[in-house]
Amino acid sequence: MSKEQAAVRLEGVGIEYHLNLNGGARLRREGIRAFQSLGRHRRKSEFWALKDVSVEIKKGEIFGILGGNGAGKSTLLKAVAGIIPPTEGKIEREGTIAPLIELGAAINPELTGAENIFLAGSLYRVPRKEIQRAFDEIVDFAGLRKFIHTPVKNYSSGMFVRLAFSTIIFFKPDIVLIDEVFSVGDQVFQQKSFEKILGFKERGATIVLVSHDLGLLSRICTRALVLSRGRGAFIGPVEEAVGRYRQIVQSGELLDGDIEAKREEGGTTGSSPTETKIAETALDPQGRWGNRKVEILSVSFVDGAGHPKKEFTFGERFEARIAFASKLGPGEKPVFGAAVATAYKMLIYGPNTLENGWPAEQAVPAKGIVKFIIPELPLFPGEYLFSAAVYDETLGIAFDHHELAYSFRVTGGPKGQFGTVKIKSSWELDPVI
Amino acid sequence: MMIRSIRELVAYRELLWNLTLTELKLRYRDSVLGFLWTVLNPLFSLLILAFVFSRIIRFQVPNFTLFLFSGLASWLMIQQTTVIAVGAVVNNQALIKKIYVPKAVFPLSNVLARYVDHGVLLLILLVFMPVFGAPINWSLLFLPVAVLLHFAFSLGLSLILATAQVRIRDVQNVAAIIFQAFFYLTPILYPIEILPEALRPIFSWNPFYLFVQLIRCPVHQGILPPWETIGATSILAVASLIAGAWIFFRREKYFIFHLS
Repeated sequence: MSKEQAAVRLEGVGIEYHLNLNGGARLRREGIRAFQSLGRHRRKSEFWALKDVSVEIKKGEIFGILGGNGAGKSTLLKAVAGIIPPTEGKIEREGTIAPLIELGAAINPELTGAENIFLAGSLYRVPRKEIQRAFDEIVDFAGLRKFIHTPVKNYSSGMFVRLAFSTIIFFKPDIVLIDEVFSVGDQVFQQKSFEKILGFKERGATIVLVSHDLGLLSRICTRALVLSRGRGAFIGPVEEAVGRYRQIVQSGELLDGDIEAKREEGGTTGSSPTETKIAETALDPQGRWGNRKVEILSVSFVDGAGHPKKEFTFGERFEARIAFASKLGPGEKPVFGAAVATAYKMLIYGPNTLENGWPAEQAVPAKGIVKFIIPELPLFPGEYLFSAAVYDETLGIAFDHHELAYSFRVTGGPKGQFGTVKIKSSWELDPVI
Repeated sequence: MMIRSIRELVAYRELLWNLTLTELKLRYRDSVLGFLWTVLNPLFSLLILAFVFSRIIRFQVPNFTLFLFSGLASWLMIQQTTVIAVGAVVNNQALIKKIYVPKAVFPLSNVLARYVDHGVLLLILLVFMPVFGAPINWSLLFLPVAVLLHFAFSLGLSLILATAQVRIRDVQNVAAIIFQAFFYLTPILYPIEILPEALRPIFSWNPFYLFVQLIRCPVHQGILPPWETIGATSILAVASLIAGAWIFFRREKYFIFHLS
């Protein structure tokens, strides 16, 4: 790999935050600190958001960044964009950079759409002439022809996103930094924008992409970096990177921050014996509620042969086993529910046992396993989240609800078809007479 | 470091232009009289002051309205500009956290927008000079230089205070109070002659008074300011600008750590 080919180069980059300085110190606090520093040495809470990160991103490459919450993905992206200076190490970039770190950051709601296009253009250092040339295309792509001279504050949120995205897309940057932006806007616009961004690649543009959507990453990236607690855990082909990331997630390494935060919240949730068990398997240990009159002890996924696994193939038998313990009296009957959602937490399907005619006449045992079975998994490859819940008969009282606490993966969908769920459909052709 | 930062600013000149324009446009977008308020506002406060001080307090100053107007014009150029530009970085933190831009565009566009206002105000002053029976002569050609010196001085001051404001958010309030004190300590509303003999030398070296003289001499008296005043204000302006740029450019990288 020669030096000329690199679009972005990071060498031993480290970024340190002084947590107590965030938010601009007030005079009072500065005074107190100055006073303290006279005495014993100052207590600083330092925190390395990134440490020893070295990576070379080639020109024309689509490069992915993976990592759990707080692993330093966004900090890395901001460092590449030049927003945060590295405390140590070196960052080099070749060409113009457009960070899509947060859509709408460049938009002033008081200005009209047209004025905003020019303002955003100058923020990304696009010459005025070029903006004028692209102007009509931008307006049409955003579908805002009618409202382009209306102040943006009167736009709907969808229009806002479309304006923000379109302006950046048409400024043809050499390096594009993307941080989970595909979860906004309506589906059609998402698809349009996504194609547009992939089109950058043909022009030789470099794309750096941060996403939780492992399916998306493995589809479009060539290489990826896995971050774990601010350090580069792996750099290489995206398949291996995804595998390494999965390993880290399963070992619970990436979750430390979340779990600690949960513990700090203290006794409000209480520490039942199953708490640790859930933290082990859960992707997101937040989002559990209910009075625990029926408690979900564990949730596991098994295939047709009854083997537990987390990775399924399209069309395979999928079974979720929800183990529970009940303290209900003979009159009370629970309703079990399950839900499947995309990695973006969009609900796909959320049935419950009422569809089965439950609660049945027979009493629920004190302990048992409820099986939720999908005979032929109709999901396309990607990462999916799973919720399990028990409610009372009226669905008004939650006994135990684990919201999107579990995840599984699907691989090997039908070739040439796209989407999330396979819908039974057919095509017909009628000649018009 | 300074040269690189300045070069970068030049590369971002269109952003600077757009931000300045935006500020001017937005201020009066929804008001009926629009841009006129830029002029009407100081004009009315001037007329009130002129009435109070010429009818009620009566200083022995010929052509008091012009005396007051020239002093206030100078004062506003420095005070109003600086007090607003102090918040330039902090007020734009949402943007600074999302996109890389040279941070100096924010105070600079603030100051530029204010000087458009000040320029308009001065033009009005010039138009009305004959009405007040002021001496009109070649000394007025010095005014562009005077405005430029004001600009450099207030820009430097703004850069220093905007940098400080990022770290300590009380700076804006403290600056406003100090300015208020100086407004009365500077012979703007009153002639320096009413002060006791002993105090006069001290007051006449007040930097703000030196700047007041830059406008007041040509407008009120129809003479060029004394050379030592021009020299002193030039030194102040250049020193302020260099110090401001040096402090700002040295710190701007780290602003991000103090914004929330």
